[in-house]
Amino acid sequence: MGNSNVNCNNVTTSNKNIVNFNKVIADENPEIMQWLSPLDPRRRHQDVRTDRLDGVGDWLLETNEFRGWRSNGGGADKAVLFCCGDPGVGKTYLR
Amino acid sequence: MIDDLCDGPCEEEIATAMFYCDFRDQQEQTTTNIIGAILKQLLVRGEVLEHVQQAYQKAKSEVGGRGLRLPDMVKMLKQAVAILPQVFICIDALDECPPKHLLELLRSIGDILRESQRTRVFLTGRPQVETEITESFITGITIPIVPRTHEIEIYLKHKLEMDPERRAMSVSLRTDILRIIPERISKMCVGASTAPISCMLLY
Repeated sequence: MGNSNVNCNNVTTSNKNIVNFNKVIADENPEIMQWLSPLDPRRRHQDVRTDRLDGVGDWLLETNEFRGWRSNGGGADKAVLFCCGDPGVGKTYLR
Repeated sequence: MIDDLCDGPCEEEIATAMFYCDFRDQQEQTTTNIIGAILKQLLVRGEVLEHVQQAYQKAKSEVGGRGLRLPDMVKMLKQAVAILPQVFICIDALDECPPKHLLELLRSIGDILRESQRTRVFLTGRPQVETEITESFITGITIPIVPRTHEIEIYLKHKLEMDPERRAMSVSLRTDILRIIPERISKMCVGASTAPISCMLLY
């Protein structure tokens, strides 16, 4: 298992109900993974996690819009949530 | 966002996938590759992997092997989300995606959502892509992101703590930085947000 996957597994194993999306499969099937895409967003995700400051962006999680989107309450009508903002406001670092 | 989804309480299995658009990597970040990168993260169950393995073997058996086309990739992603109980897809910085790929990407996401009502998509981007996003989906939510004063303070304190030139900082300068900058930025943001707050449900 590569280091990037070790790190990313830590992201996802904090809740037993979460499917461990990086789990080993990527490393067991490198040819297929490369065939699907040469891109590996997990590395960038690790950088973002490292740089993110606690307490920044938490307000979003408390909004009714976010809660409704996440809880699936609105069905297909609330399938997409778009966070829009100028450069540097912290969109990438929303928790 | 991915981390919040992963950390939060849930009664049902969810699978998450994320992607960060990057203008420095536009050559490689084609729609097909982006959808492929999302799909890679969703290969979490044997049944999902089987579909992909079959497609791979078929492509490999053809002369010279065969690269994937966008419709093939979207089809495989649809198969994946149909198998998984619930999928969250997060895509960051859509404004860094070239216009041609952006429209293709949004159309592909729309295709996937039409077939999977349980899938949720979280997007971020600068205001210039709002039109493309709202036009690509019928209803949905747009939340304007504006930094809160306490967030600016957290950020400034962190930067001051990490400042390698500590001796150049006096107590009064530090106090002024922590007082004036959040104040000024908040005023700028309040000014900027006098435009109607657009909370619009997408798709």
